[in-house]
Parts: sequence; structure tokens; C-alpha cells
Amino acid sequence: MTLAGKPDVNLPGGAWESDRDYCPTLTPAGARMLEKLRGHPCAPVYRNRSGNKLQAAEVAALHAYEREVMDAVVAWSAAAPPSWLPDFLKVTYATVPYYRACGSPPARLADVAPISRAELAHDIAAFVPDDADLARMINFQTTGTTGHPLLIASHPLVAGRYLAFHKRALRRFGVTLRHGAGQVGVMLLGHQRRCFTYVSVTPTMDESGLAKINLHPDDWRQAEDRARYLDAMAPELIAGDPISFAELLTLPMTHKPAALMSVSMMLLPGMRARLEQRFGCPVLDIYSLNEVGPVAVYDEQAGGHVLLQHRLYVEILDSAGQPVPDGARGEITVTGGFNFCLPLVRYRTGDYASLAHGPHGPVLVGLAGRSPLRYRTVNGEWINNIDITHALKPLAIALFGVHQHGDGSVALRLAPGAMPQADRARALLAPFFGAIAVETLLAEDKIIQYTSDLQEAAV
Amino acid sequence: MMQIGPHLETLTHRLADTPVEFLAEPRIAGVANAQAVAVAALVNDILLLHGARAPAASLQGFIGAQVKADRNRLALAMIVCWLLADDWFTGQQLPQHDLLQVLGEAARELAASTPAHQFTQDPERREELARIVLARLGFRPRDESVAQATDRLSAISGTERRRLLEASRLAEQRAREIREALAKKAAEESADKWSRE
Repeated sequence: MTLAGKPDVNLPGGAWESDRDYCPTLTPAGARMLEKLRGHPCAPVYRNRSGNKLQAAEVAALHAYEREVMDAVVAWSAAAPPSWLPDFLKVTYATVPYYRACGSPPARLADVAPISRAELAHDIAAFVPDDADLARMINFQTTGTTGHPLLIASHPLVAGRYLAFHKRALRRFGVTLRHGAGQVGVMLLGHQRRCFTYVSVTPTMDESGLAKINLHPDDWRQAEDRARYLDAMAPELIAGDPISFAELLTLPMTHKPAALMSVSMMLLPGMRARLEQRFGCPVLDIYSLNEVGPVAVYDEQAGGHVLLQHRLYVEILDSAGQPVPDGARGEITVTGGFNFCLPLVRYRTGDYASLAHGPHGPVLVGLAGRSPLRYRTVNGEWINNIDITHALKPLAIALFGVHQHGDGSVALRLAPGAMPQADRARALLAPFFGAIAVETLLAEDKIIQYTSDLQEAAV
Repeated sequence: MMQIGPHLETLTHRLADTPVEFLAEPRIAGVANAQAVAVAALVNDILLLHGARAPAASLQGFIGAQVKADRNRLALAMIVCWLLADDWFTGQQLPQHDLLQVLGEAARELAASTPAHQFTQDPERREELARIVLARLGFRPRDESVAQATDRLSAISGTERRRLLEASRLAEQRAREIREALAKKAAEESADKWSRE
């Protein structure tokens, strides 16, 4: 039964009695918001339960943290690294088992051997500080594209802090979130055959609604309900990845959110332009990782992804672990972070960019996931995968893969919805490769975007 | 500990005054640091100071291969090199085997649980290192009887080792608890994030 005494058809086991387990500060107004999200006649099937798990004191702490994030200035450089770094190293080497085993804290960050996903995947427990509260610990799981599944130690406060960085990113585009009680703050979109879906409230926004929904028609009574539900709930913000946004573009919804926020995959400018045109709002491209949280947001005026975290130091390293000069490409390597359950010291992210400094602070230029690959053109010259990204920019596609076979032939893989753009894609890549094959991409999640069978492809 | 060594204070003072060059990073394969110290070469220099010549094979253990396994041990070996370069020690012209034992095994044992630089910063750890180096080489501090030296070494070392063993046991237990705590949370039931990476 719902609080209103009506039978509820859209609640997995536990129902109202356990909503407070997921949302400990839930008030009757918050409960009504959950009911609104679940009980609408066009609501999808919510398959899972989740919530903010925040205690009252933590909600207050999050308000203070948000002010800190909004006021912070990110203005360090390699010559003048942030002042918190030495203390951070000292504390990390004293309290984190992995680093304690390495001995005394190093005098300089550059003396620390970088780690990668493999180390975290091997034993995450070694990276959790002694003072992390196990009773409140939560996890985030990621499969990634590198073959090392990761279980990330985290905490409800850490999850709650994401919003502060998103607000900082939104501010760059003139958007201030205003939703509160009785309104839906954010809809998180997925578009997968199987997707974790749930409803919750955001206590720092006066218990506005949050819903993770799956746009796949299997999760809805009728496919048409998707647009009706989005219009009825009118979320102030919609977050998703390019795949779910591509699906969103097919829906006849009329509601205009204040902003769209794209995470987890490369958002091509063509796709961003279509979304901006369709919804009449800014479309933010957030570079975010499970291990680190939101790192940066793309800002054309800044020429790349502007860093968002004031306690995250970024270096660009070459394959030998040496920092490269500003402007040179290399692997994005991070130190610090806001997840106090997983302090990172020179963590190689597996993503590549160059670093520039200017009026916007440090900016990641030419961000691309995974290590760079080069491709052999029809003329026998080599081009970098970033050149292919640039070439495909005009396309409004959510996801693509480019593979070069051992004989030099190239296949472009596009999602089924993007196949009408196959001819244009062929034309854009023809100067490099001549005629190419365009195949249908059936993967529904992240893929390795650039692959090659040629041994000389590794940069 | 049958032979009489120097005053303990001269050694603890020397440790407290360890030059920054001996506190620098040891060179370890795969770590990009042009200033890092090649500990095998440093050990070879100390052996030469003592009039000993070591075959290359005996220096293999001082070539760093892995940060987690070797950094602290080699950092401590560098500090022990500084100690063994003291005039009193070089005046003894100690046997190569004994020097390598102290620089290798003794450093390995001590580094297993204590950050190397604490042996220069913390008065108790300075005394522990000085006493252990003397004892492994067959000496005792001047003005101490064999019984006194044995008692003090076992007291300072034994207490610390017991504390570290307990700390190690607790650390292992905590790691187990962390793994269990993470494993029992169903994926994504954890808490709201305003985005999914």
C-alpha cells in the first residue's frame, strides 16, 4: 500500500516501509514525490530500489561543501602546484595501506610511481584509508572498456557531492538549478535492454525528485508513454549518455529542460548541436569517471574541457610516466579527488588529452578515451585517431567505432539509428581511406572506439 | 655483540643528520625519476670504503624492480649506507658478507613495517636501527655490557615488533572487512549520483 492507502502496482518488494532505508531523511513531502514518480499512469516499470542514504547532518555538510565548490578557484600549474598537495601526500602515505607499504611519503609528487586501473582492480581494499567508515561504505561498479572490472569504494556523502560539481559546470552556461519540493530535479536516462532503474529524492534540493529511467520500450507499458511521462514529470535537468540522448531525440516530448548533461562517452559536436536545437538549452559534455567523479566540462570558449574539482591535480604523462610539456598529448593522470574513501595519487585514467592554462584555469584539450592509435591512410601515411574524431565532427551520431583490418581496409561501425548518415560518414573519411565499409554497431554500452589489427598502430 | 663498538649517541646523531642525498628516492625500474639514486652503486661504494669488492651478482638485490616491494627497503638501505660510511665503521674494514647482510636482510626486516625515514626522524627508531646494525656486525655500544646491550636491543626492538605485528594483523582484518562490506552491497543500489559514468 502507498502512504495514500492505495495499492501500488509499481513497487518492487519492500515498498514504502523501506523507502526510509534508502532515504533516511525522507519526509511526507518527499514520500509524495516518490509516489508521484512511481504512480503516474505513464510511469515506466521501476525495476530497482536505491536512494540518497544521507543522514541529516550529512545533508547540512553537503550544503557547506556546495558553497566551497562554487567559490573555489582552480588556478594551479605545473610550476605552481596546489598548496594542498604536500599534506595530501603525507596523509595518504600514512593512512592508505598500499602507500604505507611503499614507505615514507615522497618529497615530490613526481617521485610517486603512477598506478592504473589494474592496481585498483587487483585489491581495492589496499586503497581505502584506515579512517573510512565501513558501516556507511557503498560501492560503484564499472566494467569499463579496458578489461579490468572495478569496484569503487565510496560513501553517500561522496555520491551527494556530484551535484555540487554539476552545479559548477552548469554555472558556466548560465544555468542555476531552482527546483525544490514537489518538482522533479533530474532524470537520468539509460537506453539499454537491461538497466538499473529507480526513484529517489535529493534532500539538498528540498527533496526534489530524481529518477533513473530506461528509454528502452520494454520498460514501458506503451512506447508513447516515454514522452508523456517526461512531459508530465518535467525534470529541470536531464542527464544521460549520447546513446540515450539519440533515443530522446526520437521522442515527441514538448518539455524543455534547463539543460542536458552528457556523461560517459564522447559527445560529438554534431550530436550536441542537434540536442541544443531540439531542446533549446545548453548541452553539457561532462568528462566523468567512476574512480574520480566529474572531472571537467567542455566549454568551446575555453577550447576544451575545463576542470571542475578544486582538490584534483591533473598531470599529463607519457608512456614512461614522465610529465609532458603543456600542449603535448599524453595520459590524463589525477591526484586527489573528493572521494575520501579512495584518495588517488597519480592515477592513470586511461584517457588522453593535452593540458593548457589560461583564463579558464587548466583545460584538457582534445580529450579522447583510451590510448591513441594511428591509422594508415590510402597514401601510406599515418594519421592519429584524433584526426578521425575531427573528421566525423559534423555527424550527429551517438556512438561509433573505427577498425582498421590487417590489410589496411577500414570499417566504420555506426549504431542502427545512425545508419542514414552512413553515406556522409563515408564521404568524410574518404580523403583518408578511400572507400570504407560501414557496418551496424549492435553494442548497447561503451565500446572501444578505435581499434586496429596493424602492429604499427600503437602510438 | 662480543666486540665493543662506538658510543650509541654518535650513531644516533649521525642518523639524525642524514644528508638529503641519502633520503632521496631509490631508483626503481619503470619509475621515471632522473634524480633517483642507484642503490646498487651506492652499496658498491660502501663496500669499497670498507676495502671489500662485491661481485655484481651480490648487488642484484639492490636493483629496484617494484615500488611496493622495493621502495622502502632500498630507502632504508641508503640510510644504512650512510651509517656504515661513518669513520668508526670504515675504520673496522668490515667483511663484505657482514655488510651485505646488514644492508640486505636487516634492512628488509626493518622496512617491512616501518617507513624508512622514520629511522632518521624518530629517536626510538634511530636507536633501534643503530643497535641492530651494531648487533648484526657483532658489536655492542661502548659503555654497555653484553647483557645490557642485549636487554636494550630486545626491549626497543621487541616492543616495536609486537606493536607492528598487531598492526599488521589489524590491517589484514580491516582489508577483509572492506572487501566484505563492498561485496555485500548490490551494484548500483548504493546511493544517488546525479550522473552515471
